[in-house]
Parts: sequence; structure tokens; C-alpha cells
Amino acid sequence: MLLFRSEEHVDRWCARRGLPKRPLVSLDQLWELAKAWYANRLTPEARRPMGAEIRAIFDGLGLTDPFWHI
Amino acid sequence: MVSDTDVQQLIYRTTVEQGRPPRSTDVAARLGIDAAAAIDAFKRLNSRRLLALAPESGEIVMAPPFSAVPTPFVVTAGWQSYFANCVWDSFGIAAALHQDTDVETSCACCGEAMTLRVRGGSPEPTPGIAHFAVPAAHWWDDITYT
Repeated sequence: MLLFRSEEHVDRWCARRGLPKRPLVSLDQLWELAKAWYANRLTPEARRPMGAEIRAIFDGLGLTDPFWHI
Repeated sequence: MVSDTDVQQLIYRTTVEQGRPPRSTDVAARLGIDAAAAIDAFKRLNSRRLLALAPESGEIVMAPPFSAVPTPFVVTAGWQSYFANCVWDSFGIAAALHQDTDVETSCACCGEAMTLRVRGGSPEPTPGIAHFAVPAAHWWDDITYT
């Protein structure tokens, strides 16, 4: 999961490597993902979201492309 | 009796204090168990996708969002700095610590330096966008590549 200055830089990077361009994630969406995954990670109750929880998090952020299906 | 939760808590406590996840010998010494028992606990935590391990040694490579090895994502919180596994985990360290953080990294395309700041529980507005090369269903096929 890499960071780019802009979508144009993603396009160049994908073209140089012959890799398909995937759905993009804004930094605000990324922050919400980070909180959903890690806000309780240092606690004894730490766990990673799984299955339906992950789908609900993605759906809530508008990440509905088949790329996000698990 | 040392539980997996004890091991996990020690891993994260040590990481927060020292900046990197500990080795099995450190965990064993701190908890009064042998290193093989620590590695076995690492494996069980790996099966719950809470750790990623080196395939041969069984040592911790990732205690997400923290990395045990240097990466291009350096996160500073107060006086301590950490390596994150990726841009998501860079924000993940801020979310886990519940602290203001600075992420020093660079554009994956052109290499120009980029800084992401989290202040008061939100990222400061800054140009930038994340790209995930691997579809979600395959993230843990090879999590170190993802």
C-alpha cells in the first residue's frame, strides 16, 4: 500500500511497471481504515476486524468495488 | 501460566517503549518462558493475523501497524520513532497510540519527500493518495508484499 503525490503519479507508476491501476483511497478514507483496524490494537482486547466486519467498514467508506471483496 | 494475550501485550508494550517489536529471546526473558514457547505464541498470534513472522526463524517481522525492520515510512510520536509497514499502517500507528504523529515518507512514483501529520485525532489536509496494488482478498497471501 503505497503513497503518491497525486493520481497522475499513480498512473505513471502503474505504466512503468505494467501493473493495473487499482481503486484509489483518499487520505481521509485511509485514516478511517487505520482507526477501524488499529484503535484498540494496544489493548488486551486487540483483534483484527474479520469477515462481515471488514465488509461493513469498506461499505461505510464507499469502498464497494469488487477489489475490496474478501 | 503465560497466555497469548500476555505475549501480545508485552510485544506491543516493548514496541511502544523501544520503537521496534522485540525478538523471541527478549519476550522469553521478560515473561520467564523459553524462546521456543515465545515462538509458539508468535505462531498462534500469526494465525489470528496479529503478527507476521519471518518464515525460517519465526521472529516478528510485523506487529501491525509496527514494522520490525526499516521501511520508507518513519512515524514520530513525541520522542519515539517507529517504522510502519505501509502508508495505511503509518496512520495506524497514530490510531493505535492515540497521539499526534508525523509520518516522513516519499511519493512511490517520483521519490519526492512527503509528510503526513495527525493532530488531535485527524490527519491535517495534505495532497496525496493511496494505491493498493493487491486486492483485499489476497492481502494475507504475502502480507510483507501487500
